[in-house]
Amino acid sequence: MEHPKESGISRRQLLRRSAGAAAGLGVAGVLAGCENTTTPIGAETAAGETTGASAELVVPKPLGPAGLPLPRPDNSVTWAITDDNRPIADGVKPEAGPLKIYNYADYIDPATVKKFQKQFNTKVQIATYNSADEATAKLASGAVEFDLVMGLSGSNIVNLIAQKLLKPLNHSYLPNLEKNIWPELADPFYDRGARFTVPYVVWMDGIGWRNDKVSQDVAAMDVPWDIFWESEAYRGRVGILDDRRDALSMPMQRDAMHKGVRPDLNTEDQAVVDKAQRDLSALGPISNPKITITDYQTLPEGKTVLHHSWSGDLLGAAFYYMPKGVPPTVLSFWGPESNGVVQNDFFCIGKTSKSPALAHEFINFFLDEKNAYNNFINYTGYTPPQKNIDAEALIKSGAIPDTLEQAVVRPDQFAANQELLQLSVKGQQYWDNAWSKFKAG
Amino acid sequence: MGSRWTWRLLALPGVAWLSVFFLAAFYAVVAVAFGNQDTLSNPVPYWNPLDWNVGYVLEVLENLWNGDQYLTVSLRTIEFVVIAVGLSLLIGYPVAYFTARHAGRWKGIVLLALILPLWINYLMRMLAWINLLAPDGIGSRLLHTFGIEKLFLTLGLLSEPGGWLNGQPSTVILALVYGYIPFFILPLFVAIDRIDKRQIEAARDLGASPLSAFLRVTLPLSVPGILAGAVLISLPMFGDYYTADLVSASTQTNMIGNQIDEFMRQGSEKVTGAALTLLLSSFLLVLMFYYLRTTRQAGTSAQTTA
Repeated sequence: MEHPKESGISRRQLLRRSAGAAAGLGVAGVLAGCENTTTPIGAETAAGETTGASAELVVPKPLGPAGLPLPRPDNSVTWAITDDNRPIADGVKPEAGPLKIYNYADYIDPATVKKFQKQFNTKVQIATYNSADEATAKLASGAVEFDLVMGLSGSNIVNLIAQKLLKPLNHSYLPNLEKNIWPELADPFYDRGARFTVPYVVWMDGIGWRNDKVSQDVAAMDVPWDIFWESEAYRGRVGILDDRRDALSMPMQRDAMHKGVRPDLNTEDQAVVDKAQRDLSALGPISNPKITITDYQTLPEGKTVLHHSWSGDLLGAAFYYMPKGVPPTVLSFWGPESNGVVQNDFFCIGKTSKSPALAHEFINFFLDEKNAYNNFINYTGYTPPQKNIDAEALIKSGAIPDTLEQAVVRPDQFAANQELLQLSVKGQQYWDNAWSKFKAG
Repeated sequence: MGSRWTWRLLALPGVAWLSVFFLAAFYAVVAVAFGNQDTLSNPVPYWNPLDWNVGYVLEVLENLWNGDQYLTVSLRTIEFVVIAVGLSLLIGYPVAYFTARHAGRWKGIVLLALILPLWINYLMRMLAWINLLAPDGIGSRLLHTFGIEKLFLTLGLLSEPGGWLNGQPSTVILALVYGYIPFFILPLFVAIDRIDKRQIEAARDLGASPLSAFLRVTLPLSVPGILAGAVLISLPMFGDYYTADLVSASTQTNMIGNQIDEFMRQGSEKVTGAALTLLLSSFLLVLMFYYLRTTRQAGTSAQTTA
C-alpha cells in the first residue's frame, strides 16, 4: 500500500501505483464488481496486475477508490450484481419491520412517515448522521444497522459499492420510479439502470439574498456570482456554504461564466483548485464572510443578507423560519441556468437489511406523486424529481413565493448543470488542502 | 506493609481509567498520525513503531516551517489563548481574592454563584450569547449604552456598531473568557484561601503597607493557584473549535481546533487531522512540563521557607 504521503515516494509514483493499492479490499473481487458501459477504463487490466508499479495505466478518467471507475456524465457506470448479493425475489410480502432508516436530521416529513407506518402497519426508526463521510464510515464499520439509507449522493457511490454496503434493487416493487421520476434520474449515469439507488430529491447551488436589504438586483447581474466580490456594504452579513466542494466550485463557476466557457467542477487540476481557493480567500478583506450552512435560519432573521445557498434551504426558510411580521417574499434565490452545480441524493437499501421488501415499499411510497409533494412542500423544501411538480404551478397555488421560483429545480436546468462527484484520492487531496488553506484565513 | 498496599490499591481505578481512556486512546492517535490511508481515504493505523510512516507528520511540519496555513492558525490560536488567559487573570483574580478574603459568611453563596453558570451546557451558553449579541439583542444594546461598544470601535476591536457577531476576534476571545473563567477562579480561590493569614499579619507588623504586603506575600503565595487555573483553562481553549464557530464562523477567527475538526469530521484526510492533533498535544505537553516544574519549585521553596 502506497500513498503520496508515504515518505520517500513521490506523488507521481503514487498515481501509477494506486491502481494496485486497494488496502485490504480484495482488489480483484471489487474490480470484478463493475461493468463499465462506455469508456473502457482499464479497470480490468488493473485487476490482473496487483503488483503495484507495473500496473501503470493509460487512464482517460481518474480512477476512484479501490480502482473503481469514477462515474461521470460522459462515463456512465453500470455496477455489477454479483451472485453473493442478489436482489430480493418478486412478490415478497413486506416484513413486519421495524424499518431502520439512516438519514440526515430533519430531512423527511414526519407526517408522511406516519402515513406510511399506518398503511403498512409497521414502525419506522430513524437514526441520523451529520456528514456523508460520517455515514459511510459508520456503515462500513457495521456500527449502524440499517435497512435504508437516505441522503447520500453521487459523491459517495463509489465508496458504497467498493465496500459492498448496498443491496441491489428489485424494480418490480418500484413502479413509481418509471412512472413519476425524471427519465434521466430514473436511469442515472452514476448507477445505470438504477440498480442500487433511487433518487430522493434534487437541489442546486445559488445565491440567496434578502431583497429588502441588498440593493443590487443580483439575478440581473451579468455574472451574479460577482456580488460576493462586491459585498463590502454587507460586511459580516455574508455567508459561504461550509462545504469544500460547493464553496470551491463557486469561484470556478464565476470564472467560467466570465469567460463564457463550461467549467469542470470535478476538476483534478491543482492549479484550478488553488486559484479557486485564492479567489475565495480574497473575500475575507472584502466582507469577512461567515462559513456556514445555517442560511435557512440566518437569512430570515436578517443575521445574514447575502448567502451562497442550496436552493432547498431557501424554500425551507420560507416555509418555516420567517420571524413574525417578515413575509417570505423578502427572500430571493438565483441559480444558474447552466454550468453551475446541481445535486441529487438517493435512497439505497442495506446489504444486510432484515426488511428489504418493506424498504422497497418505503421507497415506492415516497416516489408517489402526492407523498413526494407533501414531503417537499410541508417539510424539506427540497425538490423531488417528479414529472408533475413544477415551479409555476407551485407559485400559482400559493405554495411558494414568486421570488423563490428559481429555488425549484427544473429538469432542463438539472441537465444543463453539473453534479459534484466523487474524485480520485489524489484529486480529493487538492480540494482538501485548498479548503484547509481557505479556512485558516 | 499491608496498609501500604491498601493505599496503593486505591490508585488502581484511576490508573486503569487513565491507561484505557488516555494512554491507549492517545496511542491510537499516534498510530493513525504515523499511519497511512487506504484508497477509500480511511485511516490505517500503524501500531508497530517500526512501521511508522512519518510522511504526514513531516508534511504538517513542513507546512509550519514554510509559514503556510497551519502556522497561521497556530499563531492565531496562541494569540487568542494568551489574551484570554490574561483577561481571565485580570477579571478572575479580584473575584477570587474577594471571595477568599472578604466575602465572610457570604463565601458559600458567592462560590455557588461562580459555579452556577456551569449548570448550563457550554453550547447553550454560547448560543445564548448569539442572541444577546445580535444587532438588536439586549447584550449589544447594553454594550452600546455603557459606551463599551464605542471603546471597542475606537480601539479597532470592533469593525462596525452592533457588529459583534460579524467575525470579530475580540468576540471570540471574550466568549472564551466567559466560557472558561469559572475554572480559573476556583483553583485560585482555593490557593488564596489557604494562605496563612498570620503571614500577612506578620508582614504588616513588620511595617509593610497593605499594597506591599499583597505584592510581597499574598501574590507570590497565590502563584501556584494562578498557574493551576491558567493550565486548567488554556488546555481546553487550545483545542476549542466550537466557540469560534458559533460566535464568528469567519475564516479570520478559526483556531487550530477548527482545522483538526475540518480534517477529522468532514474531510477525507483523517491522518492529517491526527498529525495536527499530535502537534497540538506535543505543544501542550511542553506547557505541562513547564507547569509541573514551576509548581515543584514553588513547593520546594515554600518548604525551605517554612
